[in-house]
Amino acid sequence: MKIALSWLKQYLDIDSGVQELSQLLTFAGIEVEGIEEIPALGKTVIAAEVVSAERVPKTDHLRLCMVNIGDMPYDEKDENNLIPVICGAPNCRAGIKAVLALPGTSLKDFKIKKAKIRGIVSHGMLCSEKELGISDSHGGIIELEPDVKIGTLADEIYGLPDVSFELEITPDRSDLLGYKGIARDLSAKLLLKTKEPAIPALPKPAGTLKIGLTNLEPKLCPRYTLRIIEGVKIAPSPQWLQNTLLKSGLRPINNVVDITNYVMFESGHPLHAFDYDKLATKEDNQSHPDIIVRLAEPKEEFIALDGKKYILDGDELLIADGKSPSALAGVMGGQGSSITDETVNIALESAAFEPGSVRKTSYKHKLSTDSSYRFERHLSAEYAVSISDRATALILEIAGGKLAGELLDSYPQPEEPVVLGVRPSRFELLIGYEMDESRMKDILASLNFSYVAKGGFEHGNRHGIDILPAQDERDAALYFKIPGFRKDVTREVDILEELSRLDGYDKVPQPEDRQEIMDRHAYKINNAASDWLVAHGAFETLNYSFVDPSRMRCLGYEDEPDFIRLINPQSANQSVMRTSLIPQLLTNLAYNLNHSERDIRLFELGRIYLKQDGSHKEPKRLAAVFTGSAGEMHFAKKAGEIDYYWVKGCFEGWLNQLGLNYGVSPAEHPYLTEGESFAYEIDGVELGYFGRVLPPVLEAWDIDVQILKQEVWVLEYNVENIAEISRKISRVYQDIPRYPAVMRDLSILVPLEVSYQKVRDYILETDRSLIQSVSPFDEYRSEQIPQGFRSLSLHIVLQDQEKTLTDERIDTLMVLVQKVLKEKLNVSMR
Amino acid sequence: MQDQLESLILEAEQEIEKCSAPNDILNVRAKYLGKKSVLNGLYGRMRELSKEERPAFGGLLNSARVKIEAFLESRSEAIKQAAWKKDSSGFDYTLPGVSLSRGGLHPLSIVRRQIDEVFMSMGFEIAEADEIEDEFHNFDALNTPKDHPSRNLADTFYVEGGKLLRTQTSTVQIRVMEKYKPPIKIISPGRCYRNDKPDPSHSPVFTQVEALVVDKGISMIDLQDTLQSFARIMFGTKVKSRIRPHFFPFTEPSAEMDISCVACDGQGCRVCKQSGWLEMGGAGMVDPAVFDTLGIDSEIYTGFAFGLGVERIAMLKYNIPDMRILFENDLRMLRQFRGEL
Ligand SMILES: [Zn+2]
Repeated sequence: MKIALSWLKQYLDIDSGVQELSQLLTFAGIEVEGIEEIPALGKTVIAAEVVSAERVPKTDHLRLCMVNIGDMPYDEKDENNLIPVICGAPNCRAGIKAVLALPGTSLKDFKIKKAKIRGIVSHGMLCSEKELGISDSHGGIIELEPDVKIGTLADEIYGLPDVSFELEITPDRSDLLGYKGIARDLSAKLLLKTKEPAIPALPKPAGTLKIGLTNLEPKLCPRYTLRIIEGVKIAPSPQWLQNTLLKSGLRPINNVVDITNYVMFESGHPLHAFDYDKLATKEDNQSHPDIIVRLAEPKEEFIALDGKKYILDGDELLIADGKSPSALAGVMGGQGSSITDETVNIALESAAFEPGSVRKTSYKHKLSTDSSYRFERHLSAEYAVSISDRATALILEIAGGKLAGELLDSYPQPEEPVVLGVRPSRFELLIGYEMDESRMKDILASLNFSYVAKGGFEHGNRHGIDILPAQDERDAALYFKIPGFRKDVTREVDILEELSRLDGYDKVPQPEDRQEIMDRHAYKINNAASDWLVAHGAFETLNYSFVDPSRMRCLGYEDEPDFIRLINPQSANQSVMRTSLIPQLLTNLAYNLNHSERDIRLFELGRIYLKQDGSHKEPKRLAAVFTGSAGEMHFAKKAGEIDYYWVKGCFEGWLNQLGLNYGVSPAEHPYLTEGESFAYEIDGVELGYFGRVLPPVLEAWDIDVQILKQEVWVLEYNVENIAEISRKISRVYQDIPRYPAVMRDLSILVPLEVSYQKVRDYILETDRSLIQSVSPFDEYRSEQIPQGFRSLSLHIVLQDQEKTLTDERIDTLMVLVQKVLKEKLNVSMR
Repeated sequence: MQDQLESLILEAEQEIEKCSAPNDILNVRAKYLGKKSVLNGLYGRMRELSKEERPAFGGLLNSARVKIEAFLESRSEAIKQAAWKKDSSGFDYTLPGVSLSRGGLHPLSIVRRQIDEVFMSMGFEIAEADEIEDEFHNFDALNTPKDHPSRNLADTFYVEGGKLLRTQTSTVQIRVMEKYKPPIKIISPGRCYRNDKPDPSHSPVFTQVEALVVDKGISMIDLQDTLQSFARIMFGTKVKSRIRPHFFPFTEPSAEMDISCVACDGQGCRVCKQSGWLEMGGAGMVDPAVFDTLGIDSEIYTGFAFGLGVERIAMLKYNIPDMRILFENDLRMLRQFRGEL
């Protein structure tokens, strides 16, 4: 719903700024979807009279107008206060009053300057509503009322500057579909009183016209009121009325229709005016027409205000005259009985309809109107008369006329008042803090909930039931009569919501900042490390934390480490805290080899215990040992043995997945073979190592290498360092390339001392943006190959993020790659 | 003429039967239905016939064409199907598939992860601390009297420098309460050590998970509730839990926690020594003296703590008869838990 600040201020004295008001609305639960500021136009935009409008020769639509600007000071006006203005609008003609923007005016989209058009100097522009920013309509220039004084500022005419808010009203709050409802919620938030529009006492009926009213569907139409006003004068609405509608996004039509819309926007409750003289009588010889509230006949036809013909099914609720439908109840009026310039007598409807029926009709005929939108959300029948009175008073004031007869009111089953109790103790229990009774009463009074009494709590509507004294403080409740327009408030908890919402959710105590005791990242890294090994076929072992100190020498260390020793060990071979996971893993390996296992992959994730600066530390490590087949035994597919490439792939794979960019150097552990064992680090921070265990070391664990005939490999991850380093890495989505990748193969002769990595890096460096990856698919050494060289075959993947790669571009790049490899590494093509 | 047509159809049918590739079909189609085919030639000879004979002959020619088309169509379909249908005669589908050789976690890790998950889903955090501890955190802060027998060398491992190997993970609770303010809601899983000779139900190295909750308004209801949730998630919804009075220096009131026997559903069996109940560990409300030592106002805050033995839970869950099996790391044992969640 679109509301204008100037209109809202008629119901509430707000002096809040735009942003502040937007916050207030949002935190009252009324979401502000958009704010549109309509700026002031300034002193150079005024009402002016088009005195003459002559067609500019040789043009279709341009007119040279002499415009009277009255006393408005302007250097170039003539002695009659006239200035020439060129205008192209079709409705521009002599005699109208229009809005003129003089040179120097800045409008929303452009600046007005003196301009020479077809040799004629135009001093400004006659404007449309859209150009002034007050509506979206640009159907020609504005035609002001004839009585507007020349020289009046447009700002004064339109009440500028102003602000309009686009609000999202939740479907349960039909009461917020009018300015008064919004003002009421704000008043409760700000604890201000709302201003009710003064409705003068209506004069005694003086007219003679009559109408019959029959309500055949009291279930679907709980209340129907009708009032006849005789002798109205249909005319355009006064400027203030037009302005308010315009700023709420409504197009002014005529005074009577505008008033019904105005009252609908004010109260949230739609009204409808019929042309009395177009309503048919039931019997031909009858002196007055009828209004009958009834269901449609199947196949009955109805021509609506929008000019379309609707064929009805039979379950639509109609407002019919004596002969045919005059309106789809609550949805849209009929064309035949609509208010026109010729209308003299009107019948004014103010009614309540069952929401489901309106929704069904609106849905079925794809007719959604300001009226159906409101009736679908359940409006109370209680206010039909006061709303009719408000509209009637405005019609009498603006369109003239006199009342004929008393108001007809079909209200067979008046709505029962709802009285609900709310326990302060329950507020504390549900919302979490205490609110005192007076605060509760204040907030609810602003919402027109009237206080009834205090007493013991009971669920449900207590209207007409005695309220008993409370047994204790917890049981004590305040009882309120719920206003009819709050159909959404039916239980205690609904009141609690109102109290909490309007007191502000910011009053709900915020918990203290949560402290993070757990290192969640390290926890996940540890689990991920284990899972990685499990995925590589390894089983987890768990070994005691204390070990045999002599085992470290068996690993090839010359001296025993500075162990943390137990004072009371159970045995000598469990007398120190372990400083490495490897010895026990080798023990587990030997144990399982002795039990006829050949393909063994084991790991342990656990602590080691190190002395440090007179104290100690207990970092976690993951270590693994591998030997035997690299895959599961299968009769048809032979798996290879675990070897350098397998272990390297396993070790690096996890680090790569974590996105770590590591450096590699030979591992310096005495139990590993040279040239096959490597340590990984980032900026000197160890990540781990992998390598092949020296056969003599294995012999110390009684593993006979002669019999085993398998390589034994180990790896170790420093999971704590990996957790620390990977903590900072965050993944960022990269757009998927839109252009295809191309693969080219390269077979090259590489000097034996040049590593694959060097070759790869030089290729990648040739063009980082195009060359996406390099991967080897063959390595070949033989006598056919020149001495001191080997053959390597590589896949090179190329891709451009911006366009499809042409063969030409690829060829040029491949030539460049070959040149670079030759010059830098003495690598040639095969 | 009619005979000539019929033999032509027969000839075409036989030749079409022999087709084994899409190309063969194309060739045969050209031969019998193409521009230079016999059939096409016969159409040309129509004008030699009288007006009366023509419709009948035309009908014959058309029906021959339709028949040959049908043969071609059905053979072409057969060739297509043969291309993707595998000859399965002699294929032994009972031979094993190729398996990805996954390993597996140790049953104690499996149970630890299960416990972590149960408690994390209840909003607990996991806290860890060193295993090599001082006497203050292992005994004093936990309100253990100076002359308590658990401090003996016969019960507790000591290392050089006056420290010891923690005998329970309650040490972590103390360290967390030293560092963080309530509310605290943690479990502390980890290794503990006691100077017990390995036997079916003892190990010098074992794993404990302790839970600690400190906040305003924590009561024994919360202890019961947490315990019950844990038991049900770990052992199934039929399992009941109970607490009964006991003594621990750092809790007041103290309790021993039992769950109904998972082997006999509480009916009484060998596992539960006919009692219907299994001991799960110690529990209780944190002793105000513990809070006082740590500077937490015991008038404002209350809390509960309990400890569980991971080995015992694993043994109960998987029916493992001897604790020593868990530390042998025999692949024949480890393999049994491959894929356990
Ligand atoms: Zn039992």
